[in-house]
Amino acid sequence: MANVKGKRFIVNYGEPVGMIAAQSIGEPGTQMILRTFHYAGIEATIATSGLPRIVELVDARKKPATPITYIYLNSSTRNSFEKAEAVAKKINEVNMGAITRRSIENFSKGAIKFILDEQTLAANELTPQQVAQKLAKSMEVHTKVDKGGDIIVRLKTKKLSEIRAINVKIMKKTIQGVEGAGKAVIQRSKDGEFYIVAAGSNVEALIDIDGIDKTRLYTNDVFAMNRLFGIEAARNTLIRELKNTLDEQKIDVDERHIALVADAMTYSGDIKGVGRHGLSGQKNSVFAKAAYEETVKHLVNAAAFGEIDPMRGVTENILVGKQIPIGTGSVRLAIKKEDLKKAKPVK
Amino acid sequence: MIMADKGNRKVYLHLNGKAIGYVEQPEAFVAEVRSSRRKGQISGEVNIAYFQKNGEIHINTDRGRLRRPYVIVENGKSKLTAETLEKLKKNEINFNYLLRSGMVEYLDAEEEENAFIALSEEQVNEKTTHLETNFTSIFGLTINTSPYPEHNALARHAMSANFIKQAEGIFASNFNQRFDSRGYILFYPQVPIVSTAAYTSAGIDKHPSGQNFVVAISTYYGYNMADALVINKAAVDRGLGRSLFYKSYSDEERRYPGGQRDRFKMPAPTADGYMGEHAYSKLSEDGIIEPEMEVSEGDVLIGKVAPPRFLEESIGAGGLEEKMRDDSTVLKTGEVGKVDSVILTETTGATRVVKVRIRSLRIPEKGDKFASRHGQKGVVALIVNQEDMPFSDSGIVPDLLLNPHSIPTRLTFGHLMEMLAGKAGTVSGEKVDGTAFVGDGKERLADYSQTLKSHNFDEYGDETLYDGITGTAFKAKVFTGVVYYNRLYHMVSNKIQVRSRGKVQILTHQPTEVKARQGALRFGEMERDALIGHGASLLLKERMLDQSDKTTVLICRQCGDIGYYDHIKRTTVCPTCGSGQLTPVDISYAFKVLLDEIKSMHILPSIKLKE
Repeated sequence: MANVKGKRFIVNYGEPVGMIAAQSIGEPGTQMILRTFHYAGIEATIATSGLPRIVELVDARKKPATPITYIYLNSSTRNSFEKAEAVAKKINEVNMGAITRRSIENFSKGAIKFILDEQTLAANELTPQQVAQKLAKSMEVHTKVDKGGDIIVRLKTKKLSEIRAINVKIMKKTIQGVEGAGKAVIQRSKDGEFYIVAAGSNVEALIDIDGIDKTRLYTNDVFAMNRLFGIEAARNTLIRELKNTLDEQKIDVDERHIALVADAMTYSGDIKGVGRHGLSGQKNSVFAKAAYEETVKHLVNAAAFGEIDPMRGVTENILVGKQIPIGTGSVRLAIKKEDLKKAKPVK
Repeated sequence: MIMADKGNRKVYLHLNGKAIGYVEQPEAFVAEVRSSRRKGQISGEVNIAYFQKNGEIHINTDRGRLRRPYVIVENGKSKLTAETLEKLKKNEINFNYLLRSGMVEYLDAEEEENAFIALSEEQVNEKTTHLETNFTSIFGLTINTSPYPEHNALARHAMSANFIKQAEGIFASNFNQRFDSRGYILFYPQVPIVSTAAYTSAGIDKHPSGQNFVVAISTYYGYNMADALVINKAAVDRGLGRSLFYKSYSDEERRYPGGQRDRFKMPAPTADGYMGEHAYSKLSEDGIIEPEMEVSEGDVLIGKVAPPRFLEESIGAGGLEEKMRDDSTVLKTGEVGKVDSVILTETTGATRVVKVRIRSLRIPEKGDKFASRHGQKGVVALIVNQEDMPFSDSGIVPDLLLNPHSIPTRLTFGHLMEMLAGKAGTVSGEKVDGTAFVGDGKERLADYSQTLKSHNFDEYGDETLYDGITGTAFKAKVFTGVVYYNRLYHMVSNKIQVRSRGKVQILTHQPTEVKARQGALRFGEMERDALIGHGASLLLKERMLDQSDKTTVLICRQCGDIGYYDHIKRTTVCPTCGSGQLTPVDISYAFKVLLDEIKSMHILPSIKLKE
């Protein structure tokens, strides 16, 4: 029985799976535009959802709008809040801007004075000296802490534009934690385990942090997953993210349709978006490309390089009026016509 | 922007959006402007608004502002006294008097922000500055013409407003003398039994556009599912929803540079574009059709000949006057009717003009559209003989059966209230007022129930109905009432269209679109996707090629360009490479056009054939 039932789900030869996948995702997707929910929660851990997220994934954007990394902890740290907090402290990205109340540029002396915010400084267990040291090291500038606990940065230049540029640069500088990791928040799972959610996706740096479970590190940044774990992981991330976004809006799409899209995007070994610059641009038919977008560009290129359209796709065959190589049209006679003439009837 | 602070208040003054100065005592200033407007010292069209938060005063005197009248209230008392109202009723004074004497003034959107407006006289207190002229004016005129608007959803009001625009009635009492390009005249328009104050005061009852239908909320063998309507044949035969459709055609004798001009006359068979003797058979000697002539699709209404478009044509045929082009006016596809009226007149430019009006009777049929005043539209799906319709104890047979499913999701409770009110009005022989917010909804319904009860009807409007076919009573009582329905001008007879084979476009050889051109229905991109999705490649090919723009072209086996067949030499020729080896291939004409266009850009596409 299982055999019979199972076989019913095997896709037949010539079945236009891509078209069916596109329709199956596209049709319920039209309802998504109207239904966008907003959640309450910690700002940093709210990911883009709904249609914008789907577009982001399918277009294969290099940086997602809201990268989020789920950092699970290993057996020594995951059961204690204090230990988890210690790990989170190492990760939580604090930049100069967050601890500075005001910066005063002195253009005649070529110096910038940073008035630090004592409260945030204390909350992150930082001292002005530490900050000054860190800045001196990473920016290669001379720093000094004055009596009031303010940091004075002395610069070699006195040019207005350069001072301003350096000021902006310093404000973005990571003082504590992992650069590009974003704000790290501790959360507790249903089975009582502590884990960290970070609003960034610098997984290369995060994987080396002590106390984390390297095997379970997960980010919604598909490209980061590809860099760290390879294309298979990226494919799975893509499926998981697409599925989750659709599920969130209670849109029921069979996972195999999504898997097909993910496969098409990743089969080449790197991630390609759907559209002009990705999958559609890779078609080997001139007509199919010209029919999609940038008609003239494709025709001119085809003329310039003497391209040949092999006429194997759907669009180009509809255009000229041939039977399309899909479904019934995918069946062809394997014997040559001449050989057929030689054939004798079977008795 | 400078904020007005308490010590030294400087409030910027804007005239029609431009800052022109500042004021130090804004309240006093605004009050003075207003009082002098009320006294008539400055124009009543001036509006002034003080925005305390921004520290700005805006004075507007320009055009394009929406303004509406309010009764002025001072010290908690309305300026418009009962005495004045009495005088107004006796026509001793008019509305302009109220404006002049500072009882009523117009406010624009900005000044309205400063006003504290009471809905009714009872709500007036010390803070009140104005009084609404009428409490129903929180709705517009359009909504106020429909009964019980406060019981309907807003979306339905929007629909209802659109339907009323499309309703047939008597749009002008001189419709007989007019030659509108289209006109719809309802045979027996009725004043609604349930109407409103605004309906009468706007004078719509002078030219109503609907009829009171006896409606039962019931199914009928599934024939009124999904906004379909079942109507009574006997009612239709008695004139329910019956209307006339007028359509006018016109043409004139145009003059052309060079002294040539068009001529109304029976075109000679030699004229260019002559449509055959039969088409002109209904014309009289002057080439114009006679009144009361029955006409149908393809018949010529106005015979006219025009000079040829290009001079060469006439020179080739010899003799300028001889060769003329047929430019007659033909009845459009799918139209039938009688010629109602024909006029021959002249324009100020002394060219003769003919106007022909066609009339056709439009008896409600399957596919015609009706709507009540509550945004409840429907399309006739079945016209039932009276004997097969459900009937009541007293022998009442409904005109229309409305499916009960059309009510709950649409929240048009006004429809139900109108049914009950209409029924109460019918049995008592009185018109019912359905104006918004007149008393409490429950009380109004109780009133109607009372009327029905006193006439021995069910107080809730329910009736025991009997199945017209079996004669047995329905188990449940059926809610029956009277509703005012509009017949909308969307009729099947104007929209029905068929085509199997027909005209094609010149450029692409594909079938034409649009009804007027006997067009086909587009097999679009999404329909194409559906066939691909089914893998039905042969069906797809049939739609996109065989039933569309299939052509056979000769393709050169040597150079891959398109060639032709030389009928004299009886050989195939490739003009590009001179070879005679060509194969006929079926392609879409659109593809041939594409290849031609590519060639026109100095790119030579070539087709390689297999085998």
